[in-house]
Amino acid sequence: MIDLNNIHVTFGKGTPLQKEALKGVNLTIEEGSFVTVIGSNGAGKSTLLGVLAGDVLAGEGRVMIGNTDVTRKSTSARAGLVARVFQDPLTGSCGSLSIEENLALAARRGERRGLRSALGPRRRELFRDRISELNLGLENRMKDRMDLLSGGQRQAVSLVMSTLSGSEVLLLDEHTAALDPGMAEFIMKLTQRVVSERKLTTLMVTHSMRQALDFGHRTIMLHGGEIILDVSGDSRKDLQVEDLIAMFRKMRGETLDDDALLIG
Amino acid sequence: MLSQIAFWGAVELGLVFAFVAIGVFLAFRVLDFPDLTVDGSFPLGAAVAAVLITIGINPWIAAAAAMLAGGAAGTVTAFLNVRFRILNLLASILTMIALFSVNLRVMGKPNVALINADTMLSPFFGLGLREVYVRPLFVGVLVVIAVIAVWRFLESDAGLAMRATGANPRMSRAQGIDTSWQVYLGLALSNALVALGGALFAQTNGFADVTAGVGTIVVGLAAVIIGETLFGARGILLALIGCVVGSILYRIAIQVALSTDALGLKASDLNLVTAVLVAVALVLPRLRRGASS
Repeated sequence: MIDLNNIHVTFGKGTPLQKEALKGVNLTIEEGSFVTVIGSNGAGKSTLLGVLAGDVLAGEGRVMIGNTDVTRKSTSARAGLVARVFQDPLTGSCGSLSIEENLALAARRGERRGLRSALGPRRRELFRDRISELNLGLENRMKDRMDLLSGGQRQAVSLVMSTLSGSEVLLLDEHTAALDPGMAEFIMKLTQRVVSERKLTTLMVTHSMRQALDFGHRTIMLHGGEIILDVSGDSRKDLQVEDLIAMFRKMRGETLDDDALLIG
Repeated sequence: MLSQIAFWGAVELGLVFAFVAIGVFLAFRVLDFPDLTVDGSFPLGAAVAAVLITIGINPWIAAAAAMLAGGAAGTVTAFLNVRFRILNLLASILTMIALFSVNLRVMGKPNVALINADTMLSPFFGLGLREVYVRPLFVGVLVVIAVIAVWRFLESDAGLAMRATGANPRMSRAQGIDTSWQVYLGLALSNALVALGGALFAQTNGFADVTAGVGTIVVGLAAVIIGETLFGARGILLALIGCVVGSILYRIAIQVALSTDALGLKASDLNLVTAVLVAVALVLPRLRRGASS
């Protein structure tokens, strides 16, 4: 469960460059729900994700993940509750470590890390099994360095990493944006499978309206640091990309000039 | 060519500096933290051990105290960098400079002699083996223990967290790793090993000197780079063995250069020779890559 209560985030407070990135956002996401987030550049998508992940601390308001108040917790202190896949495949994993070492890191996310060998025979077997489920042939390359993998392969491994230890929420940060269309589709299918199999509470930020409507149970649109659209259920089922654009125009009374919003 | 004694002397010195090389490897390669503190923590280890031994403390305890002092020095550098965001290189230079004064305070004078004092090696001298062999053998055993300990650590969950911190801090934090704590831990560990090298240097050479630290970082780095040139990037254990082999080869190369009359080098040319060797070791892999591509 995620509960954001009156979240305000202001960057560069008191300077000429002061920018209010989030203006009193309220958002409750039920357990096991899959929410997609869209919005143009500068709408506050990344800030919203950062507030949940811990990279950005809210200036005002309260952030609850599960039953824990994480408002003032650092990224590492709340990592046990939050699994995350980054937009840049290079950010989500360690290029200089092997595939199995990356998995070993993720398997202890948010837990104490002791002096036991990171890769015992039982863990190796578990990691192999989980990687072979991807059907990418990576199970035979477990000792290969992560930076030998393609961007798509790295994202696939990142997804596996995000599910190796328990968490309250899964954050997906435009995680297919850096991939070619074929690989992006593969990663989205994989995401869908992982999320429904594990009934994860998921928040996916995406650049694509198509993706936002095709996946998940609920779609919200951010603009200027506020939630301007929040649809789910039947009203969402009938929604088309064109409707989204029309709605967007109507609610803001502005013309849409951001091409990035129209991709897909 | 080298005499037997000169050869084994070089091996012994190489083994002593293997601790420095492993420490430098931890800071530079694992944590990606260019740490010059070692130029101060090496003589600090020597000073602490020498002073404690001269007042009658057990030399093993003296070496342990030297490691603690080195660890503290590393913690200061980490503190300056993590807490006050001072650039890593500069933070370590500040600690290094400060340690020069600290070392003089610890010793009370520029150098302390350990001529007749009992050292960690004393019990092994009476066993029939010649001293020239006992010394490298003794230090060698300690080096093997250190290599195995550091290797097992770096392949544990805790060590993996440290490697991840150096490789990708953003990802590490997302995995719940407190990267600030890792910098503290890594620099403390690194400088404790370097100080142990200093303590062994004092005991094998019979003195501690406040100037003994000058260029320690370059020597350590030279060993790491020679090791990498020889073994490549093929796992932690080979990298650590590379540090040890690199350190020994470096000392032998220096010894050969200095004792080859045709070159006409003097002991005072040591730093120049070192700099040239490190530069060559740095350039060689690049030239090789250039040739193959």
